[in-house]
Amino acid sequence: MSTDTEFAPASVAGERGGIAPSVLEQLAEIAMLIGSARDAMSDEMVTRLARAISEGATLLDRLTRNEGLLQLLRVLERPEGQHLLIGLSKALDLMDRQVAAAPPSSGGIAGLWKLAREPGAQDAIRLLSILSQCWVESMRDAR
Amino acid sequence: MQILIVGGGTGGTILGNSLARRLASEIRAGKVRITLLSASDKHMYQPGLLYVAFGQMTPDQLYRDEASLLESSIDFHVDPVTEFHLDRNEVKTGSGKTYAYDLLVIATGARIVPQEVPGMAEGSENFYTEEGALRLHKRLMEFRGGTVAMVVSLPHKCPVAPIEAMFLLHDFFKARNIRDKVKLQYNYPVNHVHATANVARWAKPEFDKAGIEYETLFNVREVDPVKKIVYSEEGTECKYDLLIAIPPHRGMEMVETNNLGLGGWIPTDRFKLTMNDHDNVYVIGDATNIPVSKTGSAAHFEAEVASDNIVSVIKTGVPVREYDGRVYCFIEAGFDRATHNAFDYINLPELKPPTKSVHWFKVAYNQMYWSTVRGLL
Repeated sequence: MSTDTEFAPASVAGERGGIAPSVLEQLAEIAMLIGSARDAMSDEMVTRLARAISEGATLLDRLTRNEGLLQLLRVLERPEGQHLLIGLSKALDLMDRQVAAAPPSSGGIAGLWKLAREPGAQDAIRLLSILSQCWVESMRDAR
Repeated sequence: MQILIVGGGTGGTILGNSLARRLASEIRAGKVRITLLSASDKHMYQPGLLYVAFGQMTPDQLYRDEASLLESSIDFHVDPVTEFHLDRNEVKTGSGKTYAYDLLVIATGARIVPQEVPGMAEGSENFYTEEGALRLHKRLMEFRGGTVAMVVSLPHKCPVAPIEAMFLLHDFFKARNIRDKVKLQYNYPVNHVHATANVARWAKPEFDKAGIEYETLFNVREVDPVKKIVYSEEGTECKYDLLIAIPPHRGMEMVETNNLGLGGWIPTDRFKLTMNDHDNVYVIGDATNIPVSKTGSAAHFEAEVASDNIVSVIKTGVPVREYDGRVYCFIEAGFDRATHNAFDYINLPELKPPTKSVHWFKVAYNQMYWSTVRGLL
């Protein structure tokens, strides 16, 4: 028949089958650490932490019950949705640089005509047109 | 189904949010409508007033916009009710509008009436209003020594608040290094230091430890602000330099003027939480006359029961639960320690030794409250 001492790891079992001094030292160290943390904490720290948790929980609750945001998240979960977002962020970055470098528009019908003839501008108008059509359709479906 | 909630305090807000969440599909389908009427666009965390009095919180930390705490599907109006017409299922408001209902919830709370005791309004401070808590804080900061006495009228909001205030006074003066110049005198109207025997049993040795003196069976008859003496109905008196009074409380004035209940306390079935003889009228929080503490905690648990029953009645036709008198509250015990108090109609409170961890729990709860009223905790 075996005893508890036989099963206990060497570092835990002491010479007489009790807790080894090294384990006691570790436990004392952990207790000191907890005591130290308790002493270091203040009401103000607890208040700030609780406020952050409370507001965080409220925000999470609102986000997780917002059907629109959840649908958006579902779309963005798909790889093509993520590529769309990455593309959009790159486009915004490029746009920012190009707008900063471009001279001010000359204005007038001639300027508008010149812009309309650019293939890039036509692509942009087509993209916005498709987006608008799809948006209107989805809004009709939602009703 | 038109549900009308009167009162935007702890009970009314928790109940409104709970119903809005649980009846979301019925509200979307237009089968249920929830309206909440309040006297104010602000929601106050009332337990924080005690902390304001001791400089541990500022008034701005006690308030949130009521609309920001409510589910967006609740129709919220700042329009206090002036008339109840329970026979016609209608209420009339200060703006002159009439609101009809199928189901009414009255959660109008309580108010202090220090003017009912001669001299109390002029001769004492309290921490039951923002103005009062700020004035008390100023008086405490200016206090250099002498007797700080407390007198208590029953019933009052948060039954353990007077005990907490005594411990906080002890800590406050100790931190200012004038505790030895201050005599703390606690006077309580029944023959123990607290109306609940187990709380009294716990508090008495804690008072002794903090050097707080006490007199029981002291029912305030009159305050003489000039001589600075409080006289009791029992014929004793207490001299003071600073008097802190827990003033008499009543239900809201319009409850009294509409003859809904004596002293503003509405006769309520202690289990069903419906107004006596009015099954479509629920009453929760301080406004009831049921034998539980007038605390936010009681209002919270009552709101949960009322919500369960209203939802069940709408969905299945029958109520589902009874209120068991459950109350839970923290008790600040001084020395950065606190304990808690939990009881119901059957089980008496059993107070554990105060600890720093529970004190932090209370400090944390002062912030978590906003999640509670939103219906998250």
